[in-house]
Amino acid sequence: MVIALSRQFSRFRLPGPRLVALGLMATGLVLFAQGAWLGVKADIAQVLLAQSWTRAIDGESASTPWPWADFRPVARLSVPSLGEHAIILSDGGAEALAFGPALLDASARPGEPGVSVIAAHRDTHFAFLEAVRPGDLIVLEQAGEAPLRYRVTGMDVVDAERSGIEPGIGPARLALVTCWPFGSLVPGPDRYVVWAEPAARL
Amino acid sequence: MAAARTHSSVGSQAWFGLTLALAALAAALMLWSEAAADEAPHDGPELVRLSEINEGALLIRTVEHGQYLPAPMVATELDFTINGPVIRATVTQRFENPTDAWVEAIYVFPMPEDSGVDRLRMQIGDRFIEGEIQERQQARRTYEAARRNGQRASLVEQERPNMFTTSVANIGPGETIIIQIEYQDVARFADGRFQFRQPLGLTPRYVPQGRDYHLAATGARGNRAVPDAHRITPPLLHPAAEPTDQLRLPVAITARLDAGFALGEIASLHHATLVERRDDGTARITLADGPVPANRDFVLTWRPEDPETPSAALFVEEWEGETYLLAQVLPPAEMGADTPRRARETIFVIDNSGSMAGASMRQARAALITALQRLEPEDRFNVIRFDNTMEQVFPTAVDATPQAVARALAFTRRLDADGGTVMLPALNAALRDPNPEDAERVRQVVFLTDGAIGNEAELFAAIERNLGRSRLFPVGIGSAPNTYFMNRAARLGRGTFTGIGQVSDVEARIDALFTALERPVMTNLDALFPEGALSEIWPAPLPDLYHGEPVTLTARLSGRDGVMIIEGEMADEAWRETLSLTEARPGRGIAALFARNRIRALEEARFQGARQVDIDAAILETALDFDLVSRLTSLVAVDVTPARPDGIPLASRDVPAMAPDGWDFGRVREAEAAPVQRADIAAGHLAYRSAPASGGQAAASNGLALPATATPRELLMGLGGLLMLFALIWLMTRREERLW
Repeated sequence: MVIALSRQFSRFRLPGPRLVALGLMATGLVLFAQGAWLGVKADIAQVLLAQSWTRAIDGESASTPWPWADFRPVARLSVPSLGEHAIILSDGGAEALAFGPALLDASARPGEPGVSVIAAHRDTHFAFLEAVRPGDLIVLEQAGEAPLRYRVTGMDVVDAERSGIEPGIGPARLALVTCWPFGSLVPGPDRYVVWAEPAARL
Repeated sequence: MAAARTHSSVGSQAWFGLTLALAALAAALMLWSEAAADEAPHDGPELVRLSEINEGALLIRTVEHGQYLPAPMVATELDFTINGPVIRATVTQRFENPTDAWVEAIYVFPMPEDSGVDRLRMQIGDRFIEGEIQERQQARRTYEAARRNGQRASLVEQERPNMFTTSVANIGPGETIIIQIEYQDVARFADGRFQFRQPLGLTPRYVPQGRDYHLAATGARGNRAVPDAHRITPPLLHPAAEPTDQLRLPVAITARLDAGFALGEIASLHHATLVERRDDGTARITLADGPVPANRDFVLTWRPEDPETPSAALFVEEWEGETYLLAQVLPPAEMGADTPRRARETIFVIDNSGSMAGASMRQARAALITALQRLEPEDRFNVIRFDNTMEQVFPTAVDATPQAVARALAFTRRLDADGGTVMLPALNAALRDPNPEDAERVRQVVFLTDGAIGNEAELFAAIERNLGRSRLFPVGIGSAPNTYFMNRAARLGRGTFTGIGQVSDVEARIDALFTALERPVMTNLDALFPEGALSEIWPAPLPDLYHGEPVTLTARLSGRDGVMIIEGEMADEAWRETLSLTEARPGRGIAALFARNRIRALEEARFQGARQVDIDAAILETALDFDLVSRLTSLVAVDVTPARPDGIPLASRDVPAMAPDGWDFGRVREAEAAPVQRADIAAGHLAYRSAPASGGQAAASNGLALPATATPRELLMGLGGLLMLFALIWLMTRREERLW
């Protein structure tokens, strides 16, 4: 079948192979662009988010980063030792994750008793989690409140369905969650959890 | 040349095969992200979300983020003490833990917005727990500490002004939980009679066997997801299918009515009742046929024997050295009654943003369709829909011809919920009035939304600036609309707020709204008190009144001497009524209603530019002073059961529990244990809590389900790059060939 088809092709010598090559080129470009767009989107979103975050700090009550977004920036997370920072979104379902790390609805409000769970993609916003080490400082700023300082206490790899994270139980803690293993090309059931506790308590 | 051709032919053959293979891979890859986003259906019982709850329900946490297993309700007892228009409601409900695990559960109870919850009592297993008011975060810390110790604990928090939740920790397998809450409400006075409605509403949707459920709206499909109708609309049992040997959900209702005047007709709209009139002018109302199934709201109405009775009710309560006044005064019904119906221009605005997805969108559509069908040919109208974009059916308002209405109806039926919520342009478009001087028609803007917005202040400014002769009538959609926004928008827009909680309410509520729209309005209301007597009055200023509505106000006074004067204007006619404060009758719960009104006014002060910290401080102070659950205060339960003597393990203590003095759980405690259906839920679905220290096996915790956090970015980029590389190499080899 393939041979018969390619014989047909070889009759139109000039346009055939050239077209196929150009088609291939175009397909490649589209795929590449799709992939790159995910990254670009993540980066552009963070820039827009940073702006709406500044507005939020200035006291504008609900600043959506762009008009059709159904989520808001709620906090700013930074890891000074790595020079990394990101704007955290309210959990608007999986959609928010394309644009930034999201504070899961079910989790505790940062600073209040319980676990505050922040999830993000391992290949964009939370790629840096791989480099986070115990003892690292994590700073979480919320509008109108004093920044919260956390120290990383350890890491865990858990199953997504049985994370063992009980958002409603225990003292205030922070859990940063992303997919594991880093650098894998396909999605898996494992999640990487970076645990941190308020710095004052350590 | 021949050699070259052969070479080329073999080459393209190989390339073609490779291309096909790559294309197949690419296609598979594109599908991957879709497939990964689709969540697999699970087998198991039906779970519910908090937003679907519109009755008191005990919900057991599951690992499904935000989804709960409803615990079967065994018995409910409602007790109302009605003193004038003030209702002190006591709701006692008994639930059972249908699982074989120690669980944490959430008890959800929706309330009328005016009600103030100030008491919680609970019996879990053999423990009695009484709630006490604390600052919200302090209360949560107390609760967490008790829970970690394996103690039974509970916490009442206000989620929204009309929705409260109670968390209950450490409920043992098969254990019985009795919950009693108390709150205040005010009877509505309309058409010469008082009316009071207690939602009993829907039958609980517990454990229909073997039905699949899908993870709903927060999943990867996001806003587009309109979950299956059967999940949103709970299955209502056909009356004929009710079991005959026992009631599924028996509700016993008792009301003691002391109306403050000679009682005329007393009626219950949906239930057969026995009315026992006492010599002292009070009445006791019970259900005629004993407990009833909880499938209809309980609505009680009563009217004075003498229709000429002054339609005013004054009640006072002395509380901590102060005098609190509740006044309900109804303007004479004949005022403005002969004003002819005026032609109207009605602009309907409907919100179809993502937050409306599901039941809310269906309600909004149904409400708009009902409203459109009520238009008369001499009216003018337009329909505007908005999400983050906006669309008008007609460029400007048109005559309500059958063709125009049909077109609007077709437009409405097609509406789907998607996108963000950008309300301002739609609001401005609706308020844009091409004939501001037209006195012939009244101009009304009916705004259907759940109010899921954050820029209230901006919207309020727009309403104040652009209102002109238009009047704004927000219609709240969904089980939990942003009522602060709606009420405030209605007040600024000088209209009324209509809440629609369920599709079945649509017709009645829209009818009521249109009746109000068709009558003239009482404006410039004011209440005057003797010099120096008044220290605070809420609401301030008094809102305009639509037909049939009474003036309702609460005030704090230095004493109860002198007279109160109420005045207002309707259709160029002045109304003035003088009431003697000395004749006010004593009432209970008025201070709490006053505090509730004050908290509401404080919350609204935000839109007038008050600072949040000042508002919070004032609300906290009010709530703690008056023992009310609010946004900043919670009721936290402390264990009042006597401590267990040393050396006796708790597990061995199976003495029947005795209720502490002063506790009355009524018949609910003795209610015959209906055969409780065991919940057929896989153990893995329950979010287990640690067992009490005194015994029981702690099940392994599953914890929070985590979202997918990988993108196909690298895979896509790598594959794309590879394809381009191949193409490039090919083109270059072709060029070389031509060179030969």
